[in-house]
Amino acid sequence: MNERFLILAAILVTGTYALVGSERAASRQVGSNRIVVTYWEKWTGEEMRAMKDVVSSFNASQDRIEVRYLSISGVAEKTLLATSGGNPPDVAGLWADQVVQFADAGALEDLTDLARAAGISEADYIPAYWETMNYKGRLYALATSPGSAAIYVNRDLVGPKYDTPEEFPKTITEFDEFVREVSIRDRQGSLSTVAFLPRDGWGLWAMPYLFGGSFTEGDRINVNGPDDLRAWKWVNSFAKRFGTRETQSFRSGFGNYSSPQNPFLSGKLATYADGPWFANFIRLYNPKVNWFAVPFPYPDGRPDLAGYTMLNLNTLMIPKGSKHKREAFEFIRYVQQQQIMERICIGQYCNTPLRKVSREFLEKHPNKYIALFDRLARGERAVRPLQMGVAAQVGREVGNAVDEIDLGQKTPEVALNDAQRRLEELWQSYQRQVLGR
Amino acid sequence: MTADPNVSRPEVPVRAGRPNRARRSRQFRILATHATLMALSLLFLMPLLWMMSTALKPTDQTMADPPVWIPNPVQWGNFSEAFSYSAKDLGYTPFLVYGQNTLFVTILAVIGAVTSNALVAYSFARIEWRGRDLLFALTLATMMVPGPVLMVPLYALFKEFGWIGTFRPLWIPAFFGSAFNIFLLRQFLRTIPMELTEAAKIDGASEWTTFSAVILPLARPALSVVALFTFMWAWNDFMGPLLYLTDQRTFTLSMGLQFFQSQHTGTPWNLLMAASLIVILPVLVVFFFAQRVFIEGIATTGLK
Amino acid sequence: MNVHRNQRVGILFALPWIIGFLIFLAFPLVSSLYYSFTSFSVLRPPIWIGLENYRELLTDTVFRTSLANTLVFTAASVPLATTVAIILALLLNTKVKGMAFYRTIFYIPSLVPMVALGVLWLWVFNGQYGLLNQGLGKLGLPEPAWLSDPAWSKWTLVIISIWGTGNAMVIYLAGLQDVPQSLYEAAELDGAKTLSKTRHVTIPMISPVILFNVVMSIIGSLQTFALPYVMFPGGAPARSTYFFSMYLYDNAFLYQRMGYASAMGWVMFAITLALTMLALKASSRHVHYEGG
Repeated sequence: MNERFLILAAILVTGTYALVGSERAASRQVGSNRIVVTYWEKWTGEEMRAMKDVVSSFNASQDRIEVRYLSISGVAEKTLLATSGGNPPDVAGLWADQVVQFADAGALEDLTDLARAAGISEADYIPAYWETMNYKGRLYALATSPGSAAIYVNRDLVGPKYDTPEEFPKTITEFDEFVREVSIRDRQGSLSTVAFLPRDGWGLWAMPYLFGGSFTEGDRINVNGPDDLRAWKWVNSFAKRFGTRETQSFRSGFGNYSSPQNPFLSGKLATYADGPWFANFIRLYNPKVNWFAVPFPYPDGRPDLAGYTMLNLNTLMIPKGSKHKREAFEFIRYVQQQQIMERICIGQYCNTPLRKVSREFLEKHPNKYIALFDRLARGERAVRPLQMGVAAQVGREVGNAVDEIDLGQKTPEVALNDAQRRLEELWQSYQRQVLGR
Repeated sequence: MTADPNVSRPEVPVRAGRPNRARRSRQFRILATHATLMALSLLFLMPLLWMMSTALKPTDQTMADPPVWIPNPVQWGNFSEAFSYSAKDLGYTPFLVYGQNTLFVTILAVIGAVTSNALVAYSFARIEWRGRDLLFALTLATMMVPGPVLMVPLYALFKEFGWIGTFRPLWIPAFFGSAFNIFLLRQFLRTIPMELTEAAKIDGASEWTTFSAVILPLARPALSVVALFTFMWAWNDFMGPLLYLTDQRTFTLSMGLQFFQSQHTGTPWNLLMAASLIVILPVLVVFFFAQRVFIEGIATTGLK
Repeated sequence: MNVHRNQRVGILFALPWIIGFLIFLAFPLVSSLYYSFTSFSVLRPPIWIGLENYRELLTDTVFRTSLANTLVFTAASVPLATTVAIILALLLNTKVKGMAFYRTIFYIPSLVPMVALGVLWLWVFNGQYGLLNQGLGKLGLPEPAWLSDPAWSKWTLVIISIWGTGNAMVIYLAGLQDVPQSLYEAAELDGAKTLSKTRHVTIPMISPVILFNVVMSIIGSLQTFALPYVMFPGGAPARSTYFFSMYLYDNAFLYQRMGYASAMGWVMFAITLALTMLALKASSRHVHYEGG
């Protein structure tokens, strides 16, 4: 038994080693006379497929550069360690939020001049996305697929009064009225369908902007201003209306976002805020849902605040230490062409970051309301990611404060003041320690 | 079922008199044990049943609300689809290539762990030397520093060795022992009576002979536990391959599982669960056979 | 016995570990201790700031919350999981047919990959149609909102930790094989019943293994990370499941404050050390080593 096991193990080890060895030798030979650009990206699944296609067509389009695509979840950690170790990829596909952190640390190549030489300019991009790629007047990243938020409506659950985009509430007051009418309790008095819950979905985090507020004032953090307070009080009015415990137990029945248990897909919520990709979740998990999409409502008497949306952006950047900066940029530039970009964005169910959009894109897109998402992203009221080294902490602290408000642990004023105080300290120490102020 | 070598062992003689009653009460006890074990089994089987059920469903029934236990229709094809998932995009079947990589790393790590830790634990448990207890305390202490704060210097170290992009960071350290395994084996070795080894030494056995001829056979259950844990840990390790591998073809199975989850295009839960089942099956089989060793212990080595 | 020879042989046997420690651990450990006195964004070289990180920890309310959560979790899960693992191991050590299958089944929860485990538990603990609440409902018991009620969310994780004791169970099972049969026979001659045999023979004989498991589960519980990180992003609701390791990880990789994270790591080290010493001290009277 003992010897047999040893023999078996020996065979397995040698066998595997030989195979792996030969394979690596094989992979090294491919394109050995080309310059190899390594590209790390966060995408897996179908998103990987969309980008992989583009990488292949780039490699086929010329014979000088070969982009090696590495798809990996946890790309942020990996890139961080590799960059600090002086061993970064040539192109990293990170989120826009990380542009600031990396740029502040001086860990990104400045793309401003490369872009200018390549004829890439502000005129090519939707303004909010262009600003996101720039930081302190320099260009540090270029776009891949973006996002913008709107409200998805389940036509069958909102009743005949609200079942077209035209009849759907436009102002907050109308929206509140709609929520009152459409939310249903069962015989025991428990909630069975709720019109809308402002804590579930994507694009709700920037709620103060919807009321004309913001998280910053110039260089200062300001999460407890009067508009912030008004926004979160409105959010809290839902928990209050349905009852804190009742809302809690209703929400405890919500399953995984990306599954048929998603509250909108299971019919628990009649409306749901999310990006253009959500149409694909509907198609995948519950194609029977009969839906349309509308913009967020605006405060009464303030039509100037209409068109709120929250944006995100996936980006390509070149970390400092890249060995093939020019070749890497060549690839990034290839991705910025309208036709290529639209291919990626269709493959990933997103809108486009480019100012120019083809009619074909809008017509062929798997989200039938893509024109709405596109229009919102172009609007004045589009909220772009916070450009601050402590943006992640702002998200966490505000989210926690709103949790505390909803659970009745703190009053809105106290919770937001606490968050403000903590964030000010964090921001001060970031400015002192990282920015050296 | 003959997997349990203890079954055939003669039972301890029961108290004299009333043999019938004693037998009946023994039968009752066996029955009660079976009943308890079966009831508990359900509780512990749940994740496997759930994964199996999910793996066989059409996409819209996975994690439906209200939940569905029995898939309708049963889609056995999910397994083959999961097996060849992303194969077209990558140009190879990730399961085969990643399985091979995983096997390679795992086998080397197990060999390393079993050989190195036994030696070190023997030294800590059964040889008296100056500085031993201090070193042992230090060994325990290394486990108390959370891993993430060591990642940056460790990465720098492996880069210095030129190991980034190779499998080496994933298995070479196993050949130098690990605090967990040393501690585990030390505790086991200390339960073996000192007289056993002293007798061997009086007979003129060297320390090495004592270790290899007396202690190692006795430590087989504990060593198999070390082997099993190392196997599990290396097989499922995610952070190591994530940080140190730089070529998609050298990825391991735990990283391949991530391919099924995406941010904007949804997760095919049925395929993910089918893939997870394929990944844990080898570990399950290894455990099934390894568990015999945990319980053979003294009974088969014939000592004591 | 020749002391000098012992010294040499002892070090020789321990050599793999001594070398491994010097190569793979010494530098990372010393570096992280150094980082804890610096401002270190990972991407830029660390800058010495003395005790500032530790001073900040003193007033950091999130640090306090995460530490309290972790200690509560540890205090609940270590004794519970230890007891359950011993009972299961005893049960799995009885001599009935088909034991190989039972043992494998009981070990399954420890095998399931994290991606599957996270969604499985969200599904079991779902407040409305989760398996657990369906069962509780049938028994006429209250059905808490496990995942969204801060009063219950921590207990969700405690329950899961009890259920995943497979590894400890295996260690006990191996330990049980080292109990000499003769001791049981002697106890039986004295007329001992099963329970008293367990108490007076089994438990003392496997006490070194129990000590190992208790120490490891203290260390493990204090560093609990993966499951809450997957199940409760950001430690929701209201940071009731925000554990020490999650805050540490966020600081290290999300906020890029590796210096601060390192300081947290060394505070965790001190706490773990203190609790382990306590366990060792408390156990010294009860742990019985055959090998002396």
